[in-house]
Amino acid sequence: MRLKAASSADLTQRQRFAEHMASIATEQCRASFAELFEFFAPRLKSYMQQLGSDPSQAEELAQEVMVTVWRKAEQFDPEKASVSTWIFRIARNRRIDAHRRTKRPELDPDEPLLRPPDPETPDTTLNRSQLEEIVREQLDTLPTEQLELLKAAFYQGLSHSEIAKAFNLPLGTVKSRIRLAFNRLRGQLEGDP
Amino acid sequence: MSTNKAETAFSELYSAYAAGCLDPAFALLVETQAALRADVKRDIQISELIAATQFEAAEPAEMDDGAVDRAFEAIDAVNGASRPAPAVLNGVSEALEELLDLPDPLKESALVAAGKSGWKFSGPGLRRLSLNVSDTAETELYRIEPGAVVPRHSHEGTEFTLVVSGGFTDETGTFGPGDLSVKGPADTHQPVADDDGPCLVLAVRDGGLRFQGVIGIVQRLMG
Repeated sequence: MRLKAASSADLTQRQRFAEHMASIATEQCRASFAELFEFFAPRLKSYMQQLGSDPSQAEELAQEVMVTVWRKAEQFDPEKASVSTWIFRIARNRRIDAHRRTKRPELDPDEPLLRPPDPETPDTTLNRSQLEEIVREQLDTLPTEQLELLKAAFYQGLSHSEIAKAFNLPLGTVKSRIRLAFNRLRGQLEGDP
Repeated sequence: MSTNKAETAFSELYSAYAAGCLDPAFALLVETQAALRADVKRDIQISELIAATQFEAAEPAEMDDGAVDRAFEAIDAVNGASRPAPAVLNGVSEALEELLDLPDPLKESALVAAGKSGWKFSGPGLRRLSLNVSDTAETELYRIEPGAVVPRHSHEGTEFTLVVSGGFTDETGTFGPGDLSVKGPADTHQPVADDDGPCLVLAVRDGGLRFQGVIGIVQRLMG
C-alpha cells in the first residue's frame, strides 16, 4: 500500500519546499528550482497520465507547470497553502484548460450547492494553513478503504458510479463512505446527523 | 449545535473540480459559488487538499533525460521575451464597474468577453454576455435591470443559474447571491429581478435555452 504517507511530503520537507519558493522569488535561485523540479515534475507527469494524457503530452504539461512555478514564484504565499497544494492547483487549472474534457455533473438529491448558505458560517478563524494541517492529520487516521475511495474521487476524478463499478460496491455504500470521510475532514464527528 | 443537512451532504462536483475533470464552464460555476459562500469555499479547499496530498503520494513517473535543463531553457526563453501588453478593453460600458466587482475567476472571463463580443440586448431590461470558457457548455453572464421580468422560457438541456449579485424570484422560489437554481427540459419559468438593484447571474447550459413567444423569435433571428 502506497496510499498513505509513504512518499508524501512530511513537515520538514514541506518547510524546505517553501524556503525554495522564497529563494526562487527573491534571488531566482536555480538550485532551489532544480530540487523542486526533481520532486514535483515526475508527480505532475504522473498526475497528467493518470487523467489520460499520453507520456509525451504529460511530459510537456509537467514542463509547462514547472515553468509557471518559476514565473509565479512571487505569488506563492506560505500562509495560504503548502507548495504541493499550490503547485497542484496550477496543474489542475492547466489541465482543465488543456483537456476541456466534459464531465456531466451528476447531482445528488442532497446536492449542497442547491441549498441556501449554511447559517452557521464555518470557523473563519481557521486559516488555510491550519486547515491544511487538520486535513492532513485526519487523512492519516482514515481507514484505508475510505482513503482509497477519496483518492479515486478527488485525485483520479472518478464519479461515484464509476467508483462503485471499479470497487464492486453498491453506489449507496460509496456515497456514504465518501460522505463519512469528508465529514471527518470537515472536523465533524461521525455521530453527527 | 444544530447540524443541517447541508453540512453532511457532499457534492460530486467538488471532487471532479478538485481532480481537474470538470468541464471548464462548471469549474467556473463552482469557483464563483465558492467566492460567494464560505461553506462552499471551505469544502472546495478540503477537496483540493485531499487531491494535493494524493498528488504528493502518487507513484512518480519518470521524466525524460535532461528534463530540468529543458525547463531552464524555457525559463530563459520566457525571461528574454517581452511581456505582452495588457489587453485593452473595447467598448468600455457603464457596466464595467459592475464587472470589476465580480468575484475573481468570473471577473477575468467577463472582462475578456466584454472586450471582445460585448453585451448583447436580450429583451427589455435584459442583457447577456457570452463567456467563451467551454467547448461543450454554453456559459453566459446575464444582467437583469431592477424589477425586470425575464420572458417565460424553457430549456433544451439543463440550466444552472448562479446568482452573483442582486436577486430574482420565480415560481420555485427566491434566489440571492450564492444561490444556484437548476432547471431541466420540463421546466419553464419567468424570473423577476428584485427591484433594489440590478441582478447578475451566471448561467451554464448543456443544451440551448429556448425563449417562448415573440422574444423567442427575436432571439433566434438575432442569434
